[in-house]
Amino acid sequence: MLLIECPWCGPRAETEFSYGGEAGIERPTDPYALSDEEWADYLFFRRNPRGAHRELWNHAQGCRRWFGVERDTVSYRIEKSYRLSGAGSGRPAAAHIEASEEKRR
Amino acid sequence: MRRYPVATPFRHGSCRRSFTTPREGASMSEAGHARFGPEPLPASAESAPSARVAISLRSDRGFLNLRLNPRDGQAVEAAERILGQSMPQAANTFTNDGHEVYWLGPDEWLIATVAERAAALGGELAEALSGFHAAVNDVSGGFVELLVRGADARTVLAKGCTLDLHPREFAPGQCVQTGLGRAAVLLAAGDPSTCTIVVRRSFSDYVRRWLENAARPHRACISAL
Repeated sequence: MLLIECPWCGPRAETEFSYGGEAGIERPTDPYALSDEEWADYLFFRRNPRGAHRELWNHAQGCRRWFGVERDTVSYRIEKSYRLSGAGSGRPAAAHIEASEEKRR
Repeated sequence: MRRYPVATPFRHGSCRRSFTTPREGASMSEAGHARFGPEPLPASAESAPSARVAISLRSDRGFLNLRLNPRDGQAVEAAERILGQSMPQAANTFTNDGHEVYWLGPDEWLIATVAERAAALGGELAEALSGFHAAVNDVSGGFVELLVRGADARTVLAKGCTLDLHPREFAPGQCVQTGLGRAAVLLAAGDPSTCTIVVRRSFSDYVRRWLENAARPHRACISAL
């Protein structure tokens, strides 16, 4: 069993989490400009590396938040886990809260 | 590396007693649950001083789910003014001062209070937070609160929980959302011999039966569930 560190709740057993696939996939800014091949690549194709892999996990039985994990697919060793609300992650919900904060000031 | 206790195997299909599923909004005792256990059980822990663990339903509880941005100091202040107590900011903690306010997530709390008070409190909170990016929902119908007390309370819970429930790790004032058996629950540590379980109503019958099984070797006293 993996021991996964939730960035909020701390280390928890793997059974509390659900896997969300590869992390860091950016939605194309203009989907209509893409060819079918490029769109299919965005939609369906994922890296399957041997070694370091960035992936998404959800703490389903805990705080129910998504976060990022860097895991080695060979050794299963988890190098780090991190919150997605950091700079450059483009988390829409957080951006929305910040915008509403700005508006009130 | 921390070692995790192995869960007690469940005895699926071995229970032949019939039971009633609790109706929405009705407390479990109202819904006609027979007291369970092979022989008649005493009504309370006090009448069974030898019991190492006592499990009971905390009835007439109301629950509110509160979402707001913890970095919005004004919103937190407005909510705390209505609640009359501080909201836990640290992960996996709760405050208990009139109501119980449990940390559920970085922007989410569960407020447990007496059932009659829940609707009014929810209204007051919603009004106080109307200008903020916040949400208050009355989820009273969705949850059941159970109390597990006694010297062996944590030992019983540890049979189905992957976390270290020793008071050193799970100290009074801490709460965790985790799995108990196969159900997702909120566990809160009152004092070293008391744990509160808040569980979804639809899972409550499963948790009740799981507790019954896990507590059997501990001279359990199970009252009016």
